[in-house]
Amino acid sequence: MLRLIALFSLLLSASAYAEELPIFDSHIHYSHDAVEFLPPEKIAEILKKSGVKKALVSSSDDRGTQLLVKHAPDIVVPALRPYRKRGETGSWMHDPTIIEYVEDLLKRHKYHAIGEFHAFDEDIETPVLQRIIQLAKEHDLLLHAHSDADAVDRIFKAYPEARVLWAHSGFVRPERVREMLRKYKNLWADLAFRSDHDDNGKVVPQWREAFEEFPDRFMVGTDTFAPERWLYVEDHARTSRAWLSDLPKDIAEKIAFRNAETMLRLQPSQ
Amino acid sequence: MRVAGRLLALVVLTLLATGTANSAEPVLSQSQIDKLLLHGPWPVQWDRDPSNRVSGNPNAIALGRDLFFSPKLSGNGKMSCATCHHPGRGWTDRLPQGLGTTKLDRNTQSLFNVRLNRWFGWDGQNDNLWAQSIRPLLDPKEMNASAGHVVKVVNGDPELAEAYENVFGAAPDTANLELTLVNLGKAMAAFQETIVSGRSPFDAFRDALAKGDEKAASAYPAAAKRGAALFFGRGNCTFCHTGPNFTNGEFQDAGVPYFLGPGRVDKGRYAGIGKLKASKLTLAGDYSDDPAKTGAWKVRGVRALHRNFGEFKVPSLRNLTQTAPYMHNGSLATLEDVVRHYSEIDVERLHADGTRVLAPLHLNDREVKDLVAFLESLSTG
Ligand code: HEC
Ligand code: HEC
Repeated sequence: MLRLIALFSLLLSASAYAEELPIFDSHIHYSHDAVEFLPPEKIAEILKKSGVKKALVSSSDDRGTQLLVKHAPDIVVPALRPYRKRGETGSWMHDPTIIEYVEDLLKRHKYHAIGEFHAFDEDIETPVLQRIIQLAKEHDLLLHAHSDADAVDRIFKAYPEARVLWAHSGFVRPERVREMLRKYKNLWADLAFRSDHDDNGKVVPQWREAFEEFPDRFMVGTDTFAPERWLYVEDHARTSRAWLSDLPKDIAEKIAFRNAETMLRLQPSQ
Repeated sequence: MRVAGRLLALVVLTLLATGTANSAEPVLSQSQIDKLLLHGPWPVQWDRDPSNRVSGNPNAIALGRDLFFSPKLSGNGKMSCATCHHPGRGWTDRLPQGLGTTKLDRNTQSLFNVRLNRWFGWDGQNDNLWAQSIRPLLDPKEMNASAGHVVKVVNGDPELAEAYENVFGAAPDTANLELTLVNLGKAMAAFQETIVSGRSPFDAFRDALAKGDEKAASAYPAAAKRGAALFFGRGNCTFCHTGPNFTNGEFQDAGVPYFLGPGRVDKGRYAGIGKLKASKLTLAGDYSDDPAKTGAWKVRGVRALHRNFGEFKVPSLRNLTQTAPYMHNGSLATLEDVVRHYSEIDVERLHADGTRVLAPLHLNDREVKDLVAFLESLSTG
């Protein structure tokens, strides 16, 4: 009986914590093949069940994003992915027809960001990327870049006032992420698909230093790069809450959702 | 002119027929040969499992064999391990997914060379063979028995009970079902450790190359040689399918979809780590007979990473000709299907930063056949 009560209160406190710590998932895709397997109603249900209060969603093609905007308008913050289908991540910068695709969508829908796009080194100097950066400027949009540090430098060179979300924190060491965050005040970093800060629910020391130096710049994201990974959103939210609970409450809340809200200039949720 | 044209055509035809084997370029480069040599000799040296005190014990092997083939252990008395792991079918069942009390989610793994594994199951939910051998007995979707039922059956069968007492020094303990079950698992493990695949044409070729015996090496078919050049070269297959057993023993995403139906997925290694961490029957636990707890670092050190979601164990490639269909869900019927899968792999499904291990090879039809011929040469026939 005692054990039952203990179990019960454990369950209660776990769900109470889920209530306490909303998640802003800042890196999520709903591409054409995911639309096939998981209808938007199901996606909305997954997000709600996982305590994901907001999500920066992009998809290739854009239809998935628009479907989700309709089905979960209170959750979805739409981003414009410059890909018509999955498979263009390595070629899009050399394809001028992408510009028409992006410009057309910008006319028809409202977005908060362009991305997540893939661009490394000199890719940024291509006319396609330069035009994308120009469009971000004209429409006051965040750029969600899966890039190396060099490409991030080039984006800021082209447009010093840019707001950039560095996907996967560039997959570089935390020390290097900090260097970049020191260099650019409008640079944020998502932790999608990185496990190196999380040691079984404890924050790894080098990362703790990064989070303490820049409590306003990091955020979490699931990165549903294959459609199956939508079924990972809930696990991801749960394990994120676990390591976040190893940080001071205010920093945890910032990384969990406040930083993404600030970055995207949304109404603070609470 | 006409004669010369015909002659030229003949030369080209001969070249096509014999491949590049006769031309100036050798089929395999030195670096490919260096890699190839690492995949032998076969069979590999094996030491008994220190976590299993009856590993290698002939009486335990005999008891394990009887248990393995006994349908009485199952809940309905009709299913044995061999129902799914059939010796005449490469120790599997030739079905896409196993069939227990219901259709399972995964393909039945072959038991060839199972003693060489580091992890067990497509998701590595166990770190030792005896624990993995208990699992199907108790799974309601597989043999659907209880520990009590299994122990009762063994106790009630004079031959099994006597063999048990011979091996373990005491009659099956009905008061300690878990211990008795673990012992039965250890006997079955001892039996499965004897399931070893023989020498294949590849092994003969590999040893000939190692000895510099050109004549012996020339017996290996030209198509398989060209396939080897793909396997050890451009295909990068050895990145994961390493060593004499053609596996690194770990988990990877080979681009195989893992939906189980609308809204359901097989989480693969991610869920396997959860089960492993929750298990008492690991190399770090009390049931390991090894006082040094050799190998316990694996379960102690492992933790679930984002990448583990949807990863599956890199399977051995030995005796594939006996174990179709392929992949964790049996979704690919033939070796040609597997090769075409790699040839046109959807890299967007694979998360990689920087260089990709797997990239579409865009093989032509002949190259597909060559790679298949190579894979077939890893079988004993
Ligand atoms: C109903 C079909 C079925 C039965 C009966 C069955 N198995 Fe299996 N076996 C499977 C499937 C399916 C897998 C893959 C399991 C997974 O990945 O979760 C497997 C995996 C294994 C493995 C892991 C092999 C590896 O390379 O990792 C071992 C060992 C094994 N079984 C032994 C046994 C033993 C011993 C029995 C009898 C006590 C048994 N099996 C009964 C279907 C079956
Ligand atoms: C990145 C690691 C990796 C590389 C590189 C790789 N494989 Fe695999 N291979 C796997 C994994 C993991 C599986 C099981 C995948 C699954 O079931 O989801 C597999 C399965 C297979 C199978 C099916 C075996 C069975 O019993 O079901 C074959 C055959 C195979 N690979 C051949 C190849 C060939 C040929 C190449 C090179 C073109 C290659 N592999 C490259 C990891 C790899």
